[in-house]
Amino acid sequence: MSNLKDLMLVPGAGLETDGDFDKVNALCMEKGWGDGLPLVPPTAQRVEQMLTYCDRPYDEIIGLVAPRYGAATPLRLAANAVMAGCLPEHFPLLMLTIEALCDETFNLYGVNATTHPCSTLMIVNGPLAKELKMNWGHNAFGPGNQANATIGRAIRLAMLNIGGAIPATGDMATFGSPAKYTFCVAENEAENPWEPLHVELGFAADVSTVTVYGAESPHNVNDHESNTGLGVLKMTAGTVAMTGANNVYFDGPPLLIFGPEHASMVARDGYSKADVKKYIYEHARVRLDAFSDENIDRRIRQWPVFKGEFTEAGPDRMVPVMKSAENAHLVVIGGAGKHSAYVPTFGATQPITRALKLRNGTFAKSVEEFRQK
Amino acid sequence: MAELRKRGLVTAVIYSGPFLKLGKAQARTFGVPELPLLEITHPLGGISIDDVRARSEQAAPQFAALIKENLK
Repeated sequence: MSNLKDLMLVPGAGLETDGDFDKVNALCMEKGWGDGLPLVPPTAQRVEQMLTYCDRPYDEIIGLVAPRYGAATPLRLAANAVMAGCLPEHFPLLMLTIEALCDETFNLYGVNATTHPCSTLMIVNGPLAKELKMNWGHNAFGPGNQANATIGRAIRLAMLNIGGAIPATGDMATFGSPAKYTFCVAENEAENPWEPLHVELGFAADVSTVTVYGAESPHNVNDHESNTGLGVLKMTAGTVAMTGANNVYFDGPPLLIFGPEHASMVARDGYSKADVKKYIYEHARVRLDAFSDENIDRRIRQWPVFKGEFTEAGPDRMVPVMKSAENAHLVVIGGAGKHSAYVPTFGATQPITRALKLRNGTFAKSVEEFRQK
Repeated sequence: MAELRKRGLVTAVIYSGPFLKLGKAQARTFGVPELPLLEITHPLGGISIDDVRARSEQAAPQFAALIKENLK
Protein backbone atom coordinates (compact mmCIF):
# COMPACT_ATOMS: atom_id res chain seq x y z
CA MET A 1 0.00 0.00 0.00
CA SER A 2 2.84 2.35 0.84
CA ASN A 3 6.55 2.22 1.31
CA LEU A 4 7.17 2.40 5.04
CA LYS A 5 10.86 3.08 4.59
CA ASP A 6 10.12 6.26 2.59
CA LEU A 7 7.54 7.45 5.11
CA MET A 8 9.97 6.93 7.96
CA LEU A 9 12.30 9.44 6.26
CA VAL A 10 9.72 12.21 6.83
CA PRO A 11 11.07 14.48 9.61
CA GLY A 12 9.42 13.60 12.92
CA ALA A 13 8.12 10.22 11.71
CA GLY A 14 10.42 8.36 14.07
CA LEU A 15 13.34 8.60 16.40
CA GLU A 16 16.34 6.46 17.19
CA THR A 17 16.89 4.74 20.53
CA ASP A 18 18.83 1.64 21.44
CA GLY A 19 15.56 -0.30 21.58
CA ASP A 20 15.81 -1.35 25.20
CA PHE A 21 12.27 -1.82 26.61
CA ASP A 22 12.91 0.10 29.81
CA LYS A 23 14.66 2.99 28.06
CA VAL A 24 11.95 3.29 25.40
CA ASN A 25 9.30 3.36 28.11
CA ALA A 26 11.23 5.93 30.14
CA LEU A 27 11.47 8.10 27.01
CA CYS A 28 7.72 7.76 26.30
CA MET A 29 6.85 8.63 29.91
CA GLU A 30 9.15 11.64 29.78
CA LYS A 31 7.54 12.85 26.54
CA GLY A 32 4.04 12.17 27.86
CA TRP A 33 3.27 9.66 25.12
CA GLY A 34 0.87 7.29 26.72
CA ASP A 35 -1.69 6.37 29.34
CA GLY A 36 0.74 5.74 32.19
CA LEU A 37 0.95 1.99 31.67
CA PRO A 38 3.97 0.29 30.07
CA LEU A 39 3.98 0.50 26.27
CA VAL A 40 5.16 -1.97 23.67
CA PRO A 41 8.01 -0.13 21.86
CA PRO A 42 6.69 0.82 18.40
CA THR A 43 9.72 -0.27 16.39
CA ALA A 44 9.61 0.09 12.61
CA GLN A 45 9.42 -3.70 12.34
CA ARG A 46 6.40 -3.96 14.66
CA VAL A 47 4.62 -1.03 13.00
CA GLU A 48 5.21 -2.60 9.59
CA GLN A 49 3.77 -5.87 10.85
CA MET A 50 0.69 -4.03 12.18
CA LEU A 51 0.21 -2.46 8.76
CA THR A 52 -0.05 -5.82 7.01
CA TYR A 53 -3.81 -5.51 7.68
CA CYS A 54 -4.08 -2.05 6.11
CA ASP A 55 -5.75 -1.64 2.70
CA ARG A 56 -4.90 1.99 2.08
CA PRO A 57 -1.89 4.31 1.78
CA TYR A 58 -0.14 4.66 5.10
CA ASP A 59 -0.29 8.46 4.99
CA GLU A 60 -3.97 8.74 3.99
CA ILE A 61 -6.00 10.66 6.56
CA ILE A 62 -8.67 8.51 8.24
CA GLY A 63 -9.94 11.34 10.41
CA LEU A 64 -8.93 14.47 12.31
CA VAL A 65 -8.83 13.68 16.01
CA ALA A 66 -10.01 16.43 18.38
CA PRO A 67 -9.10 18.47 20.31
CA ARG A 68 -5.80 18.95 18.46
CA TYR A 69 -7.41 17.78 15.20
CA GLY A 70 -4.33 15.67 14.59
CA ALA A 71 -4.39 13.68 11.37
CA ALA A 72 -4.98 9.99 12.11
CA THR A 73 -3.14 8.15 9.34
CA PRO A 74 -2.63 4.38 9.26
CA LEU A 75 1.04 4.94 10.09
CA ARG A 76 0.32 6.94 13.24
CA LEU A 77 -2.53 4.68 14.25
CA ALA A 78 -0.36 1.60 13.79
CA ALA A 79 2.30 3.01 16.12
CA ASN A 80 -0.39 3.49 18.79
CA ALA A 81 -1.80 0.01 18.12
CA VAL A 82 1.64 -1.51 18.68
CA MET A 83 2.10 0.48 21.89
CA ALA A 84 -1.29 -0.79 23.14
CA GLY A 85 -0.41 -4.44 22.48
CA CYS A 86 -2.80 -5.01 19.56
CA LEU A 87 -2.46 -7.84 17.07
CA PRO A 88 -2.22 -6.90 13.37
CA GLU A 89 -5.65 -8.40 12.66
CA HIS A 90 -7.17 -5.83 15.04
CA PHE A 91 -6.08 -2.99 12.77
CA PRO A 92 -9.11 -2.75 10.40
CA LEU A 93 -11.39 -2.29 13.44
CA LEU A 94 -9.14 0.49 14.73
CA MET A 95 -9.34 2.36 11.41
CA LEU A 96 -13.12 1.93 11.38
CA THR A 97 -13.47 3.19 14.95
CA ILE A 98 -11.39 6.32 14.28
CA GLU A 99 -13.57 7.03 11.26
CA ALA A 100 -16.71 6.77 13.43
CA LEU A 101 -15.30 8.90 16.25
CA CYS A 102 -14.36 11.66 13.80
CA ASP A 103 -17.91 11.95 12.43
CA GLU A 104 -18.91 15.52 13.26
CA THR A 105 -22.18 14.55 14.96
CA PHE A 106 -20.27 12.48 17.52
CA ASN A 107 -18.76 15.71 18.89
CA LEU A 108 -15.35 14.27 19.71
CA TYR A 109 -14.09 17.70 20.75
CA GLY A 110 -16.73 17.89 23.47
CA VAL A 111 -16.28 14.27 24.53
CA ASN A 112 -12.50 14.57 24.82
CA ALA A 113 -12.14 18.08 26.23
CA THR A 114 -15.06 18.19 28.69
CA THR A 115 -14.83 18.17 32.48
CA HIS A 116 -17.38 15.29 32.37
CA PRO A 117 -16.03 11.74 32.97
CA CYS A 118 -17.03 10.32 29.59
CA SER A 119 -14.87 8.08 27.46
CA THR A 120 -15.13 6.60 23.97
CA LEU A 121 -17.09 3.35 24.24
CA MET A 122 -17.08 1.01 21.25
CA ILE A 123 -19.57 -1.84 20.78
CA VAL A 124 -18.84 -4.34 18.03
CA ASN A 125 -21.51 -6.33 16.18
CA GLY A 126 -21.44 -9.00 13.50
CA PRO A 127 -18.97 -11.77 12.63
CA LEU A 128 -15.95 -9.57 13.31
CA ALA A 129 -16.42 -9.94 17.08
CA LYS A 130 -16.00 -13.70 16.85
CA GLU A 131 -13.17 -13.48 14.33
CA LEU A 132 -11.19 -11.19 16.65
CA LYS A 133 -12.01 -13.43 19.66
CA MET A 134 -13.68 -10.56 21.48
CA ASN A 135 -15.53 -11.02 24.76
CA TRP A 136 -19.26 -10.35 25.01
CA GLY A 137 -19.91 -12.60 28.01
CA HIS A 138 -18.70 -12.64 31.61
CA ASN A 139 -16.44 -9.65 32.31
CA ALA A 140 -16.94 -8.26 28.81
CA PHE A 141 -15.91 -4.84 30.14
CA GLY A 142 -12.79 -6.43 31.59
CA PRO A 143 -10.47 -7.73 32.56
CA GLY A 144 -8.98 -10.62 30.70
CA ASN A 145 -9.66 -10.46 26.97
CA GLN A 146 -6.80 -9.37 24.72
CA ALA A 147 -8.93 -7.94 21.90
CA ASN A 148 -11.27 -5.92 24.14
CA ALA A 149 -8.39 -4.65 26.27
CA THR A 150 -5.89 -3.72 23.59
CA ILE A 151 -8.27 -2.40 20.91
CA GLY A 152 -9.89 -0.05 23.42
CA ARG A 153 -6.48 0.95 24.72
CA ALA A 154 -5.20 1.71 21.21
CA ILE A 155 -8.14 4.04 20.64
CA ARG A 156 -7.40 5.85 23.89
CA LEU A 157 -3.70 6.15 22.95
CA ALA A 158 -4.79 7.63 19.60
CA MET A 159 -6.93 10.16 21.48
CA LEU A 160 -3.89 11.10 23.59
CA ASN A 161 -1.06 10.96 21.09
CA ILE A 162 -2.81 11.97 17.86
CA GLY A 163 -5.74 13.98 19.23
CA GLY A 164 -3.91 15.72 22.06
CA ALA A 165 -6.55 14.71 24.64
CA ILE A 166 -3.89 15.10 27.29
CA PRO A 167 -5.00 15.47 30.90
CA ALA A 168 -5.29 19.13 32.00
CA THR A 169 -4.30 20.38 28.53
CA GLY A 170 -6.72 18.88 26.01
CA ASP A 171 -8.78 16.69 28.35
CA MET A 172 -10.20 18.73 31.21
CA ALA A 173 -12.06 15.86 32.95
CA THR A 174 -12.51 16.76 36.59
CA PHE A 175 -11.41 13.31 37.72
CA GLY A 176 -11.32 11.20 34.53
CA SER A 177 -12.50 7.63 34.46
CA PRO A 178 -11.16 4.06 34.56
CA ALA A 179 -13.03 3.72 31.24
CA LYS A 180 -10.39 6.01 29.72
CA TYR A 181 -7.84 3.20 29.75
CA THR A 182 -9.94 0.96 27.52
CA PHE A 183 -13.69 0.77 26.78
CA CYS A 184 -14.44 -1.83 24.13
CA VAL A 185 -16.90 -4.75 24.02
CA ALA A 186 -18.95 -6.84 21.64
CA GLU A 187 -22.69 -7.47 21.85
CA ASN A 188 -23.82 -10.91 23.06
CA GLU A 189 -25.81 -11.65 19.92
CA ALA A 190 -26.20 -15.38 20.66
CA GLU A 191 -28.15 -14.70 23.86
CA ASN A 192 -29.98 -11.63 22.61
CA PRO A 193 -33.71 -12.39 22.38
CA TRP A 194 -34.19 -9.34 20.17
CA GLU A 195 -32.47 -8.24 16.97
CA PRO A 196 -28.86 -7.17 17.62
CA LEU A 197 -28.00 -3.48 17.49
CA HIS A 198 -26.63 -3.41 13.95
CA VAL A 199 -29.67 -5.25 12.55
CA GLU A 200 -31.99 -2.84 14.37
CA LEU A 201 -30.05 -0.02 12.70
CA GLY A 202 -30.64 -1.51 9.25
CA PHE A 203 -27.53 -3.60 8.55
CA ALA A 204 -27.60 -7.24 7.50
CA ALA A 205 -26.78 -9.70 10.27
CA ASP A 206 -23.58 -10.79 8.51
CA VAL A 207 -22.25 -7.23 8.27
CA SER A 208 -19.77 -6.23 10.98
CA THR A 209 -20.13 -2.84 12.62
CA VAL A 210 -18.77 -0.71 15.39
CA THR A 211 -20.94 1.76 17.26
CA VAL A 212 -19.22 4.46 19.30
CA TYR A 213 -20.62 6.36 22.28
CA GLY A 214 -19.31 9.25 24.34
CA ALA A 215 -20.21 7.44 27.52
CA GLU A 216 -19.68 7.13 31.25
CA SER A 217 -18.79 3.86 32.91
CA PRO A 218 -21.83 1.56 33.28
CA HIS A 219 -24.13 2.04 36.29
CA ASN A 220 -25.34 -1.33 37.53
CA VAL A 221 -28.98 -2.43 37.79
CA ASN A 222 -29.02 -5.17 40.40
CA ASP A 223 -32.28 -7.12 40.27
CA HIS A 224 -32.24 -10.61 41.75
CA GLU A 225 -35.89 -10.62 42.82
CA SER A 226 -38.11 -9.67 39.90
CA ASN A 227 -39.51 -12.64 38.04
CA THR A 228 -41.40 -10.70 35.41
CA GLY A 229 -40.23 -8.52 32.57
CA LEU A 230 -42.23 -5.65 34.02
CA GLY A 231 -40.32 -5.97 37.29
CA VAL A 232 -36.95 -5.79 35.53
CA LEU A 233 -38.07 -2.77 33.52
CA LYS A 234 -39.30 -1.02 36.66
CA MET A 235 -35.93 -1.54 38.37
CA THR A 236 -34.10 -0.36 35.24
CA ALA A 237 -36.23 2.78 34.95
CA GLY A 238 -35.51 3.52 38.61
CA THR A 239 -31.77 3.41 37.91
CA VAL A 240 -32.04 5.65 34.85
CA ALA A 241 -34.11 8.27 36.70
CA MET A 242 -31.35 10.28 38.35
CA THR A 243 -30.52 13.97 38.59
CA GLY A 244 -26.75 13.83 38.14
CA ALA A 245 -26.32 12.16 34.74
CA ASN A 246 -26.18 14.32 31.61
CA ASN A 247 -28.92 12.55 29.66
CA VAL A 248 -31.70 14.31 31.56
CA TYR A 249 -30.33 17.67 30.36
CA PHE A 250 -29.59 16.77 26.73
CA ASP A 251 -31.20 14.91 23.85
CA GLY A 252 -28.36 12.45 23.15
CA PRO A 253 -29.73 8.91 23.58
CA PRO A 254 -28.80 7.00 26.74
CA LEU A 255 -27.51 3.44 26.39
CA LEU A 256 -29.27 0.53 28.10
CA ILE A 257 -27.39 -2.73 28.51
CA PHE A 258 -29.43 -5.78 29.47
CA GLY A 259 -27.70 -8.83 30.87
CA PRO A 260 -28.88 -11.95 28.99
CA GLU A 261 -30.98 -13.25 31.91
CA HIS A 262 -32.83 -9.97 32.36
CA ALA A 263 -33.24 -9.64 28.57
CA SER A 264 -34.66 -13.13 28.35
CA MET A 265 -37.25 -12.40 31.05
CA VAL A 266 -38.30 -9.09 29.47
CA ALA A 267 -38.62 -10.62 25.98
CA ARG A 268 -40.43 -13.69 27.35
CA ASP A 269 -43.10 -11.37 28.72
CA GLY A 270 -43.72 -9.92 25.29
CA TYR A 271 -41.69 -6.73 25.25
CA SER A 272 -39.99 -5.83 21.98
CA LYS A 273 -37.02 -3.46 21.91
CA ALA A 274 -39.40 -0.64 20.98
CA ASP A 275 -41.65 -1.55 23.94
CA VAL A 276 -38.67 -1.46 26.31
CA LYS A 277 -37.63 1.98 25.11
CA LYS A 278 -41.20 3.25 25.40
CA TYR A 279 -41.43 1.93 28.96
CA ILE A 280 -38.15 3.59 29.96
CA TYR A 281 -39.23 6.84 28.31
CA GLU A 282 -42.49 6.83 30.24
CA HIS A 283 -41.13 5.68 33.60
CA ALA A 284 -37.54 6.91 33.89
CA ARG A 285 -38.58 10.35 35.05
CA VAL A 286 -37.35 12.60 37.82
CA ARG A 287 -39.69 14.71 39.95
CA LEU A 288 -38.98 18.36 39.32
CA ASP A 289 -38.35 19.07 43.00
CA ALA A 290 -35.60 16.43 43.10
CA PHE A 291 -33.43 18.98 41.26
CA SER A 292 -31.88 21.89 43.11
CA ASP A 293 -33.64 25.25 42.79
CA GLU A 294 -30.83 26.58 40.60
CA ASN A 295 -31.00 23.60 38.23
CA ILE A 296 -34.77 23.99 37.96
CA ASP A 297 -34.52 27.72 37.22
CA ARG A 298 -31.47 27.72 34.96
CA ARG A 299 -31.77 24.41 33.15
CA ILE A 300 -35.10 22.60 33.35
CA ARG A 301 -37.20 25.71 32.88
CA GLN A 302 -34.97 27.38 30.29
CA TRP A 303 -32.85 25.00 28.22
CA PRO A 304 -34.05 24.57 24.63
CA VAL A 305 -34.04 20.76 24.90
CA PHE A 306 -37.15 20.99 27.14
CA LYS A 307 -38.95 23.22 24.61
CA GLY A 308 -40.59 25.30 27.34
CA GLU A 309 -42.48 22.30 28.74
CA PHE A 310 -41.43 23.03 32.33
CA THR A 311 -41.41 26.82 32.31
CA GLU A 312 -44.38 26.99 34.67
CA ALA A 313 -44.29 23.39 35.97
CA GLY A 314 -44.97 22.62 39.62
CA PRO A 315 -42.76 20.51 41.92
CA ASP A 316 -44.51 17.21 41.18
CA ARG A 317 -44.06 17.33 37.40
CA MET A 318 -41.95 14.47 36.09
CA VAL A 319 -38.94 15.25 33.85
CA PRO A 320 -38.12 12.51 31.29
CA VAL A 321 -34.54 11.30 30.89
CA MET A 322 -35.22 10.19 27.30
CA LYS A 323 -36.55 12.92 25.06
CA SER A 324 -38.76 10.63 22.95
CA ALA A 325 -39.98 7.03 23.08
CA GLU A 326 -37.38 5.96 20.50
CA ASN A 327 -34.44 7.92 21.83
CA ALA A 328 -32.29 5.19 23.42
CA HIS A 329 -29.91 2.45 22.36
CA LEU A 330 -30.42 -1.03 23.76
CA VAL A 331 -27.94 -3.92 23.64
CA VAL A 332 -27.41 -7.27 25.36
CA ILE A 333 -23.99 -7.88 26.90
CA GLY A 334 -22.64 -10.16 29.62
CA GLY A 335 -22.84 -13.66 31.03
CA ALA A 336 -24.93 -15.32 33.72
CA GLY A 337 -26.35 -13.21 36.53
CA LYS A 338 -29.17 -10.85 37.36
CA HIS A 339 -27.55 -7.59 36.31
CA SER A 340 -28.14 -4.97 33.65
CA ALA A 341 -26.68 -1.50 33.27
CA TYR A 342 -27.50 2.07 32.45
CA VAL A 343 -24.71 3.83 30.56
CA PRO A 344 -25.26 7.59 30.73
CA THR A 345 -23.60 9.52 27.94
CA PHE A 346 -22.05 12.97 27.64
CA GLY A 347 -25.50 13.96 26.33
CA ALA A 348 -24.26 16.42 23.71
CA THR A 349 -23.19 13.52 21.50
CA GLN A 350 -24.82 11.11 19.10
CA PRO A 351 -23.79 7.45 18.73
CA ILE A 352 -22.22 6.68 15.36
CA THR A 353 -22.30 3.27 13.64
CA ARG A 354 -19.92 2.32 10.84
CA ALA A 355 -19.85 -0.91 8.87
CA LEU A 356 -16.59 -2.69 8.13
CA LYS A 357 -15.81 -1.93 4.50
CA LEU A 358 -12.77 -2.10 2.32
CA ARG A 359 -11.39 1.13 0.93
CA ASN A 360 -13.25 0.44 -2.34
CA GLY A 361 -16.56 0.56 -0.46
CA THR A 362 -17.45 -3.14 -0.42
CA PHE A 363 -18.50 -4.80 2.83
CA ALA A 364 -15.68 -6.89 4.30
CA LYS A 365 -16.69 -10.36 5.46
CA SER A 366 -13.38 -10.88 7.22
CA VAL A 367 -10.36 -8.87 8.31
CA GLU A 368 -8.33 -11.20 6.09
CA GLU A 369 -9.64 -9.18 3.12
CA PHE A 370 -7.55 -6.26 4.44
CA ARG A 371 -4.39 -8.36 4.54
CA GLN A 372 -1.80 -7.45 1.99
CA LYS A 373 -1.02 -10.28 -0.41
CA MET B 1 -13.54 32.51 16.83
CA ALA B 2 -10.33 31.66 15.01
CA GLU B 3 -12.04 32.33 11.66
CA LEU B 4 -13.26 35.74 12.82
CA ARG B 5 -9.77 36.64 13.97
CA LYS B 6 -8.30 35.56 10.66
CA ARG B 7 -10.78 37.96 8.99
CA GLY B 8 -9.33 40.80 11.05
CA LEU B 9 -12.07 41.26 13.64
CA VAL B 10 -11.14 42.01 17.23
CA THR B 11 -11.64 38.70 18.99
CA ALA B 12 -10.78 37.11 22.32
CA VAL B 13 -11.58 34.04 24.36
CA ILE B 14 -12.58 34.43 27.99
CA TYR B 15 -11.32 31.65 30.24
CA SER B 16 -11.21 30.77 33.92
CA GLY B 17 -7.85 29.83 35.42
CA PRO B 18 -7.59 26.02 34.95
CA PHE B 19 -8.54 26.30 31.27
CA LEU B 20 -5.57 28.42 30.19
CA LYS B 21 -3.59 25.49 28.74
CA LEU B 22 -6.63 24.26 26.79
CA GLY B 23 -7.20 27.78 25.42
CA LYS B 24 -3.59 28.15 24.34
CA ALA B 25 -3.53 24.68 22.76
CA GLN B 26 -6.75 25.34 20.84
CA ALA B 27 -5.51 28.72 19.63
CA ARG B 28 -2.40 27.00 18.23
CA THR B 29 -4.53 24.22 16.70
CA PHE B 30 -6.68 26.70 14.83
CA GLY B 31 -3.74 28.75 13.57
CA VAL B 32 -4.16 31.83 15.77
CA PRO B 33 -1.54 31.32 18.50
CA GLU B 34 -1.63 35.00 19.44
CA LEU B 35 -5.42 34.96 20.10
CA PRO B 36 -5.97 37.07 23.23
CA LEU B 37 -7.12 35.07 26.25
CA LEU B 38 -8.90 37.10 28.92
CA GLU B 39 -8.88 35.62 32.41
CA ILE B 40 -11.78 35.63 34.84
CA THR B 41 -11.92 34.01 38.28
CA HIS B 42 -12.65 30.29 38.35
CA PRO B 43 -15.26 28.80 38.54
CA LEU B 44 -17.95 30.08 36.23
CA GLY B 45 -20.36 27.18 36.84
CA GLY B 46 -22.26 26.82 40.11
CA ILE B 47 -22.15 30.47 41.17
CA SER B 48 -24.79 33.07 41.94
CA ILE B 49 -26.08 35.53 39.37
CA ASP B 50 -24.30 38.31 41.29
CA ASP B 51 -21.04 36.40 40.97
CA VAL B 52 -21.70 35.93 37.23
CA ARG B 53 -22.08 39.71 36.96
CA ALA B 54 -18.80 40.14 38.83
CA ARG B 55 -17.10 37.85 36.30
CA SER B 56 -18.46 39.92 33.43
CA GLU B 57 -17.13 43.03 35.17
CA GLN B 58 -13.70 41.38 35.19
CA ALA B 59 -13.89 40.56 31.51
CA ALA B 60 -15.45 43.77 30.15
CA PRO B 61 -12.53 46.17 30.85
CA GLN B 62 -10.05 43.66 29.44
CA PHE B 63 -12.05 43.46 26.24
CA ALA B 64 -12.47 47.25 26.11
CA ALA B 65 -8.69 47.62 26.43
CA LEU B 66 -8.23 45.13 23.62
CA ILE B 67 -10.54 47.12 21.34
CA LYS B 68 -8.74 50.37 22.16
CA GLU B 69 -5.40 48.74 21.44
CA ASN B 70 -6.68 47.65 18.04
CA LEU B 71 -7.96 51.16 17.24
CA LYS B 72 -4.46 52.64 17.62
